[in-house]
Amino acid sequence: MKRRAKRLLNDLDQEIREHIELATQENIDRGMPPEEARHAALRKFGNVTRAKEDAREVWSTVWLEELRQDIRFGLRQLRQSPAFTTVVILTLALGIGANTAIYSFMESILLRSLPVADPESLVVLNWHSQPPEDGNKEWVHVMHSVSGLAWKGDNGAMVSGMFPYGAFETLREENPVFSTLFGYFNGRKRNLAVRGQATSASAEYVTGEYFRGLAVSPVAGRLIDSGDDRPGAAPVAVVSFGTSQNRFGGPPNAIGQSILVDNIPFTVIGVAPPEFFGVDPAAAPDLYLPLHTNLLVDGAGAARMYGDGNYYWIEMMGRLRPGVSMAQAQAVLAPRFHQWVATTATIDGERAKLPALMLNPGAAGLGSLRRKYSKPLFVLLTMVALILAIACANIANLLLARAAARRREMAVRLSLGAGRFRVVRQLLTESVMLASLGGALGVLFAIWGMGSLTFLLSNGQENFTLHAELNWNVLGVTAALSVVCGLLFGLAPAIQSTRPDVMSALKNGRGGGPHRRAQHVLVVAQIAFSFLILVAAGLFVQTLNKLHSVQLGYARENILLFSLNARQAGHRDPEIATFYTELRKRFESIPGVSSATLSHSSIISAERAGRTYRGPMKIGAFTFVGAGVLVAGPRFLTTMQIPILAGREIDDRDQAGSTPVAVISERLARTYFGNENPVGRRITFLDEKRDLEIVGVSANLQYGGLKEESPMTVFVAISQFSPDRVTYALRTAGDPLRYVQSVYEIVREADPGIPVTNVVTQVAEIDRTISQEVTFAKLCTGFAVLALLIACVGLYGTMSYNVAQQIGEIGIRMALGAQGRAVVWMVLRRVLILAAVGLAISVPAALSASQLVKSFLFETQPNDPGTLALAGVVLLSAAILAGYAPARRASRIDPLAALRHE
Amino acid sequence: MSTKKESERIELLQGTLDLLILRTLVLGPQHGHAIAKAIEFRSDEVLQVEQGSLYPALHRLIKRGWIFVEDGTSENNRRAKFYRLTARGRKQLAHETSKWEKLAGAIARILRPTEGRE
Repeated sequence: MKRRAKRLLNDLDQEIREHIELATQENIDRGMPPEEARHAALRKFGNVTRAKEDAREVWSTVWLEELRQDIRFGLRQLRQSPAFTTVVILTLALGIGANTAIYSFMESILLRSLPVADPESLVVLNWHSQPPEDGNKEWVHVMHSVSGLAWKGDNGAMVSGMFPYGAFETLREENPVFSTLFGYFNGRKRNLAVRGQATSASAEYVTGEYFRGLAVSPVAGRLIDSGDDRPGAAPVAVVSFGTSQNRFGGPPNAIGQSILVDNIPFTVIGVAPPEFFGVDPAAAPDLYLPLHTNLLVDGAGAARMYGDGNYYWIEMMGRLRPGVSMAQAQAVLAPRFHQWVATTATIDGERAKLPALMLNPGAAGLGSLRRKYSKPLFVLLTMVALILAIACANIANLLLARAAARRREMAVRLSLGAGRFRVVRQLLTESVMLASLGGALGVLFAIWGMGSLTFLLSNGQENFTLHAELNWNVLGVTAALSVVCGLLFGLAPAIQSTRPDVMSALKNGRGGGPHRRAQHVLVVAQIAFSFLILVAAGLFVQTLNKLHSVQLGYARENILLFSLNARQAGHRDPEIATFYTELRKRFESIPGVSSATLSHSSIISAERAGRTYRGPMKIGAFTFVGAGVLVAGPRFLTTMQIPILAGREIDDRDQAGSTPVAVISERLARTYFGNENPVGRRITFLDEKRDLEIVGVSANLQYGGLKEESPMTVFVAISQFSPDRVTYALRTAGDPLRYVQSVYEIVREADPGIPVTNVVTQVAEIDRTISQEVTFAKLCTGFAVLALLIACVGLYGTMSYNVAQQIGEIGIRMALGAQGRAVVWMVLRRVLILAAVGLAISVPAALSASQLVKSFLFETQPNDPGTLALAGVVLLSAAILAGYAPARRASRIDPLAALRHE
Repeated sequence: MSTKKESERIELLQGTLDLLILRTLVLGPQHGHAIAKAIEFRSDEVLQVEQGSLYPALHRLIKRGWIFVEDGTSENNRRAKFYRLTARGRKQLAHETSKWEKLAGAIARILRPTEGRE
């Protein structure tokens, strides 16, 4: 076909020449002079170039040409009804934009690969075992101590990526399935001093094979290799591209620089490439240090990590040799690991549940982000998909109504011989055009949505690493979505309006039953979907309300929080305690600060952050666990406005050398002392064999996160526990952030080598812990409003159309004496029936679907009857509102005019 | 060169050209110039083909499978392309002709509604 066309076109020149010559010859034969004969022939032939172009077009662009016609015609159609076009494009843009925004987040979390060579051949090493607690809640497991995270796998199993160093060495030896096996260990926040300027930087300890295994090349200098990673090697560091720019003024300047990491000198040897962020998308280390340098940075205690086969801390990834599958690697390595780990078990209980090695794909890096965000994002994606479905149904509905109006046009075109396919194609072109315009505008909405979603999700977290972007993948999906939507909402109306019963359409020009039925189905679907979203929004708002109404028991407003780590800047016991105490006094002397205190962490994150005591305690004969310990400085209760019910709070009298003291919360006092006064009695921290004298009783407070059941609280003196990192709290007059500058100045004066970190108000610190709930409540409320709005427009459109269809019938009724009210009721009844059918379908669906979001709810039942009822009432009211205008219009029909119209 | 006055000539309606080409080829394969001449001649030179538009039309008909092209020799003994009707083309011609007749009849009735009474 192609070749035939080419030959025909190639020969066309020759053919036309022949043609003109023949014509000229004929003219000459008729007696014209040759020159004139040729002119006449040429004139008669017309434009040669255009003939050739037209011929070419026949072959190459027939469908393109028709498409251009269709588009031009479509544009004219759309311009003719600007209101319709605007509504459709806006609804679609919102729907597609929301989907694009959520999808871009999913893409960034679930689908994006690490920016390294051949990520597909990377595997992550994990293990799983039965839960460590036995029937008596005692810890029986070969994992005696751990630095890192374990999480729940299937069937309550414990899953983790932490291994003892011995396991790493064993698996690394003569590995037949991995070309490289490398390890890494979260180095957490470190004090990084460059040319005397100290800031907080996140560090990653990596083994010598790390960069080789990931196949990363430096942008400057060289990367850490095996020679750097052994005890006694010269301490070297690789910095991230961002750090090289922010701290050294560009990658080349960083090489060879001396830096201090927690006061230990290192030499920068290289800079990682800009796109590289390590192996965990949830983290972006500023600093890569050879694993064994933790012996220098973390002190002699770190030596134990290398020898102890029951200490789980190092994480591993491997690169498969070419041709080796993950399953094969698993089959080779699992027995080897099993053999090794069996030697670390000391008792039968441990032997009964040895960890089993499990390989996972490593192309996308570690799964912490996926575990945290994939479920929330799936819930959100479901919702925006529902919204898009509502929008599509709505547009299909509007198009149906319009198709009815255009039936005459279609009938004329069909009877003039236009192919039905051609007309359907024309209509589909129109809807795909609408969808494309909606999609294009949707991308703008998406950009805005991604920005605000990032803002909502990060909620002020420093180094929030979830970065969604509009890459080709996302844009491609958006484009596909637009086209599919266009076809989806365009197909039914297009087929409807080109049905071959041309004659009847020509005769009366009014839509019949099938139209209305299709419209009703669509409206019912919209109502059903809207109800689902309303219920979800109701549940999430309810959850947020419950969270906000949790009694904190301490001050929320007018508190400034910030953290310091003096130990990382070289301060040691006992001087460090004096240092922190002196600072507190200086903060308290800032004008406008009524009191200052310090603790091992903010109250809201006390159970997770910082070092504190988490073991069993004993009062008299009672041993118990689960009381929350807060390591607090002087005036803590005063600053946090926690009432002192008996005795005193911790103050400057409590020194490292004096009697260890504790203040207990009222609930603890009531539980173990009844009505006796606990002041003067003792409480024992069993694991540390530490005896404390109870000197006071505080009112109850919400220790730890809002969602946790508030445990009993024990305050102990910071001077007697001496944590590394402390969080100061300042009670301020007016906006707490106004005092940040003074804080920086005081700290710089005291020791310029200590960076101030996590500067935040108490309010923001608390809100940060419920950012997901806030996000869900806000987003879903927005979604619900949107869904309701779109559904109401659909309902309004349908009812208006129905009324217009029934003008004659209504006119007759009114002529026969029907009251306006009866007519209103006639229309509203139909609205209510539609809404009721929608609800009847949706309520069971909502009941089962809400179970899926159960884990997102707080003190709210997924089938909360109040929420269901409220959603129903809101929906019905909205439906009545949408239906009232058409109903009223119907009741005002002039019977005479209506009958004449008929 | 022409026996008719310019004013009596009728520009071809879009799409009609296809029909006329098919009709011309019923008599046997022809080359481009001959087709143009035949149309003019057979319409008493009332219908004037813009000859240039003949070729795109021919290509269109080839594409639809209604005619096909073969090599031959023209009257002045040169190699030329001859166009020949296919079976499908013949069928199409019949279909189009009857449609055209209906349309023409209808239009005629509309334009001269009183003809019968006169």
